[in-house]
Amino acid sequence: MSFLKVDNLSVLYGKESVLSDISFSLEKGETIAVIGPNGSGKTTLFRALLGTIPFTGEIRWGEKVKIGYVPQRLDLERNLPLTIQEFLLLHPLSTKQGSYSPNEVLGIVGLDPQFLEKSLGSLSAGQFQRALIAFALIAQPTILLFDEPTASIDIKGEETLYDLLHRLQDVHRFGMILISHDLTFVYRYADKVLCLNKKQLCFGIPQEVLTPQELERLYGTGGKFYHHIHGY
Amino acid sequence: MDITLFHIVGAGAISAAAGGLLGSFALLRRMALVGDALSHVALPGIALGLLFHFNPFVGSLAFLVFGTTLIWAVEHKTNLPVDTLVGVLFVLALAVGALLTPEHELLEALFGDISQLSATGFWVSLLLGGVIIVALLMLWRKLTLTMISSELSKSTGIRPHVVEFFFLTLFAFVVALGITFTGVLLIGALVIIPAAIARNIATSMGAYMFLSSLIGVLGAIGGILASYFFHIAPGPAFVILLGTLFFLSIIGKLR
Repeated sequence: MSFLKVDNLSVLYGKESVLSDISFSLEKGETIAVIGPNGSGKTTLFRALLGTIPFTGEIRWGEKVKIGYVPQRLDLERNLPLTIQEFLLLHPLSTKQGSYSPNEVLGIVGLDPQFLEKSLGSLSAGQFQRALIAFALIAQPTILLFDEPTASIDIKGEETLYDLLHRLQDVHRFGMILISHDLTFVYRYADKVLCLNKKQLCFGIPQEVLTPQELERLYGTGGKFYHHIHGY
Repeated sequence: MDITLFHIVGAGAISAAAGGLLGSFALLRRMALVGDALSHVALPGIALGLLFHFNPFVGSLAFLVFGTTLIWAVEHKTNLPVDTLVGVLFVLALAVGALLTPEHELLEALFGDISQLSATGFWVSLLLGGVIIVALLMLWRKLTLTMISSELSKSTGIRPHVVEFFFLTLFAFVVALGITFTGVLLIGALVIIPAAIARNIATSMGAYMFLSSLIGVLGAIGGILASYFFHIAPGPAFVILLGTLFFLSIIGKLR
């Protein structure tokens, strides 16, 4: 049984189709990268997977799947009186056995323990994203959903973050679905790639399905991405 | 049982503690104004109670639970704009309530008068206030997570719709509880101002929740004592006292 199996998933906003006929599956320890231009339905796919929006089709999670979710951003007020420690402990499973302590999970994402007492609103964008990742990891998930993890992390941090995710994945064997704009990452780490533009344009092993023709069909940007990949 | 100043202060304090604690979550969700409008829906319930000689508290609670259920259903089951609908419907309720309420009772319904507290009212305040506080303390983690992001909440296995429904029901209870104190028009203050002050001071969620309740309690005691010694209405006294404190807290924060 797969960790996750999605069949013929479609989402409508009003009468407009934002996702149609998406089918893919995720096995244990696998990484799927979701790519596509802005507005192609990537975040909508995550919302459907989390069950926060209505959809048609079927989403089947494996038994005892624990989801960790890193949103693209959180719309928080700067003066929100919530410390990192309090934030991490909001996770209902954080106090259960088999979860990390707030201290441990901060270490894992590369934040100093002194951050525990800092307020969530006082963090820089990069630190804030690490705090979100820590929240997603604290209960030791079996599947991690990442929405554009590169969006607010600086280049130097980005490298270590991907390396970190990869290392954690090697140890814990969690499955991962990752929305990414970074094709270098897709080639290096993703087992499979799902190309979206409101409908499913491709699904398979990156080296096989990401042909220059496919990328042009997906992004319509001529050879830009093609050169980017070969530059890597 | 004779109602003394001690009982009045006790009932006011527990209403304000429950209101302050609830308010700390209402402000997280930026639903302060929805809550304020919601309180207006209590007035027709009070009016019906007065007209048909049943306890106005029961009438207001019934209308409030109906109002909160309506907000919840509109938000989750339809695509209608919640703010607009709430704004129109609940002001409408205020107008209907104002016409139905006997004129000599209208002022008390609009601005409250806890000095008229009955023995039953005292025990109901104590019980309901206690229930609200315990429920909020049991739910605070789920509430906070749901208020800051319903998607994040959902990803951890919480059902945000259910949490929100509980919260709105507790909101209805707080409004019903606080109405004898501040009345229909000023009830928003009981919920919003203590939390707004606490937010200017606190740096952690624990401190924020605690301070919000404490400031509510101190405001209630101050307001009731002011009304006792200076013969003014306790509800407006509470609001003016805490409103002043709020501006002082802003000045303190800016310095």
